[in-house]
Amino acid sequence: MSDHDIHAAHAHGPITRVGDIPAHDDHDHAGHAHESGHDQGHGGIGKYLLVFLALCGLTTMSFLTYSSVWPWRDQPHVGWAFMMAVSCTKAMLVVLFFMHVFWEANWKYVLTIPAAMMAIFLALMLVPDVGMRNRMVSQERALHMARTSDVRLMEQAAEAKALAELAEPAAH
Amino acid sequence: MNASAISLPHGHDGHSHSHDDGHHDGHGHHGPVLQYQPGLPLSRGKLIMWLFLSTEIMFFAALLGSYVVLRFGAPVWPKPHHVHLSEPIGAFNTFVLICSSVTIVLALESARANKAGQAKLWMLLTLLLGTLFLGVKGYEYQAKFSHGIFPQSPRSRIYEKPDLYYGSAVRARLGDPVIIDKLKELDDTPADKLTAEQVSARARLQQIRKMVASPEQQAFDLAVVADQVMPLPTEGPGGSHAGDGGGHGGHASGLNDIFPWLKLPAVIPGGNMWASTYFLLTGFHAIHVLVGLIVFTILLGYKLGPKDAGKIENAGLYWHFVDLVWIFLFPLLYLF
Repeated sequence: MSDHDIHAAHAHGPITRVGDIPAHDDHDHAGHAHESGHDQGHGGIGKYLLVFLALCGLTTMSFLTYSSVWPWRDQPHVGWAFMMAVSCTKAMLVVLFFMHVFWEANWKYVLTIPAAMMAIFLALMLVPDVGMRNRMVSQERALHMARTSDVRLMEQAAEAKALAELAEPAAH
Repeated sequence: MNASAISLPHGHDGHSHSHDDGHHDGHGHHGPVLQYQPGLPLSRGKLIMWLFLSTEIMFFAALLGSYVVLRFGAPVWPKPHHVHLSEPIGAFNTFVLICSSVTIVLALESARANKAGQAKLWMLLTLLLGTLFLGVKGYEYQAKFSHGIFPQSPRSRIYEKPDLYYGSAVRARLGDPVIIDKLKELDDTPADKLTAEQVSARARLQQIRKMVASPEQQAFDLAVVADQVMPLPTEGPGGSHAGDGGGHGGHASGLNDIFPWLKLPAVIPGGNMWASTYFLLTGFHAIHVLVGLIVFTILLGYKLGPKDAGKIENAGLYWHFVDLVWIFLFPLLYLF
């Protein structure tokens, strides 16, 4: 990562981002550690603050599903889809602007797309063995694992307690 | 390696004019002219960092993917309130990490603009925000540990369902010599030395002691015991979460909360798998945060001028990735 390497990167304009103006003035950068020329007129603190505000706004939006204002409380899938959309938007903002990928040359596709595909396949591979593991279980396992009937039992116990507490003051 | 030697045919490189007239700049032979050309237009450090990050993408994708698949394949999964997760705290931590992502970007910009002092300040702020994140995480872990939620037994006191195994675990705990002494002490304490809450809890504790010891015990009795030990907070039908922060508001909190020494086994359906995935995901994320903090501490030893901008950029890339993982972890763990 020496200055020489960085300068060498500059000296070969044709390999930089498509649509980028070939850096004719790269000798001006000789003393600087500027990389790939992506920060020229792109970054700017204003832009970062804008992204920051957008991220804060999006976090508030996903937090909205938790609040009582959210209208689809009885349909959790709506909230999940919404939150995933918000998360993906946030991730895109961070990757594109904070990680400067928006301004990078085409090598970004070489490194990110195969990794992203691997990531998706990895998760999909887990579905048959792990995701569907409870479709067929042994009787013994079914006996010991928590089921919705157990949750209901717990809820009934809580309700019974609430009733007992309501009755208590009346008895006095 | 950033640069690779590429042989170019005559007349195709930038110095073609010197070849056209038959001279070879004093080379004296007709071999190919070698010229250095960068493989990818980015510095070596950044290339390595991106390669590392692409492996990290797969690493966390595997973890997050298994979490999602385990969670949606499970017949029962605890609600965030059942496992004492606090959404506001999680949202606060998200905010802290987003802020730290901004400060590291600003540190990089300052270093590029040759404002070393400013860069140091932003870097220090990033370090502090990262530490704050870990501090909050530690506080959250403490809340889990204090409720007996650990990733593994023997520390974990979480049972999947109020069955006979749970009943015998409660009996075993109540039969512990230390607890027997404590219980005797509690029974002998005059009522005026206890708060009203403790008096009522003592009566309930005596009741469940009878219930677990009773020979004609029903499944429902054990559910009542579990509910007394650690109630599963319910969401109000109107969606109100008010007062849910520390379990039920006031009198309805569990015996384990009122008598912290009691440490009775508790029932959280699906709680064990939840604990395994939660601690694995947040634990690996916390390790990544810790590594980031170490990197920032090392970087603070540099001048942080334009010459160090490459280092800051690479550290920043890593840090943004850590932020990125949390962006997905927060909704998946706290809001789903």
